[in-house]
Amino acid sequence: MKNLRLIGVIALLSLGMLGCGADQTSMVGLVRDQPLNVSGISLPDETPGATEPLFVMKAQPNELLMVYFGYTMCPDLCPTTLADFRSALARINSAASRVDLAFITVDPERDTADRLAPYLASFVDRYHVLRTTDFSQLQLAQDAFLAASSITTNEMGVIEVSHTATAYFVDDNGLVVDEIPFGLGADGFENDLKILINQLDKG
Amino acid sequence: MRKKIFLVALVGALSLGASACSSDTESVDTTLLAETTFTVDGAWARTSPMESTVGAAYMSITASADDALVGASVDMSVAMMTQVHETTTAADGSMGMQEIASIPMVAGTPLVLEPGGYHVMIMELVAPLEVGTSLTVTLTFESGATTTVEVPVLNEAP
Repeated sequence: MKNLRLIGVIALLSLGMLGCGADQTSMVGLVRDQPLNVSGISLPDETPGATEPLFVMKAQPNELLMVYFGYTMCPDLCPTTLADFRSALARINSAASRVDLAFITVDPERDTADRLAPYLASFVDRYHVLRTTDFSQLQLAQDAFLAASSITTNEMGVIEVSHTATAYFVDDNGLVVDEIPFGLGADGFENDLKILINQLDKG
Repeated sequence: MRKKIFLVALVGALSLGASACSSDTESVDTTLLAETTFTVDGAWARTSPMESTVGAAYMSITASADDALVGASVDMSVAMMTQVHETTTAADGSMGMQEIASIPMVAGTPLVLEPGGYHVMIMELVAPLEVGTSLTVTLTFESGATTTVEVPVLNEAP
């Protein structure tokens, strides 16, 4: 519990240090003065029925895109985050249709497309399965988001995966407008989604 | 989901009994060392997507005496392997998990297993964890005591 509180405090302090922005005082996620620009990043889209081979890190016009680095064999952080996201979408009613999800697997050897698609479908209706076995390509994407991941095998032969557990919200210009660290829960997602959607509506 | 279990810990009784077998007469020393009460609150396990073979269970455990959580298990009809894990954060901000051999428990202070922290990791699930079902988790403590907890499967924390 202390860890989660600490993350929340850090997020709030970061907001205080990073300065201005509309509704900033109400946002619980991290809002940077100079948002990360991830519009130059694209990854193979293995979503069933995908019309383009590469997915560019931008939301559809007047929408939001949540980007998350994770893996399907993750028992704790990933399902918790996706469940919180799902709960928040349910709470914002019709606005949820304007929020897309791009899930980037950090464990592409085990996370095949036929595993990822139904996994994501168990949480949300709209999603993109982003998967590359070219780790330099994955690294470029992670660098753009200031994210990290690693896969190691311990002495027992068990594969251990670590990854940044932040949820990134990207606008239609490819700017990361909000970064929600793990631990803020469905309330945190709901709070920031409402503000971000409201900002979209204000143009 | 509140379960109170009174356990009589007969720690060392069997070994004492074995050591007593040096003569013709077998005897078992059933020295009563401690009686510990364990209270488990808010137990739940998250639903597991069909494609995942791992799950996690969470709960708050309070012991009436100092002890340590040293293991957890479920029946092999549920999963092939169960461990107590801790989610940790690396210097680069990435988060991972590792098995933890022992989590100290102070008498009367809840040990909280929660998302992003300590949790019971259930691996090689035989079948997905689905809402409306439950699983029995056996917790093992350093004192030798064990307790079982009925854990409902939920979409979100209760």
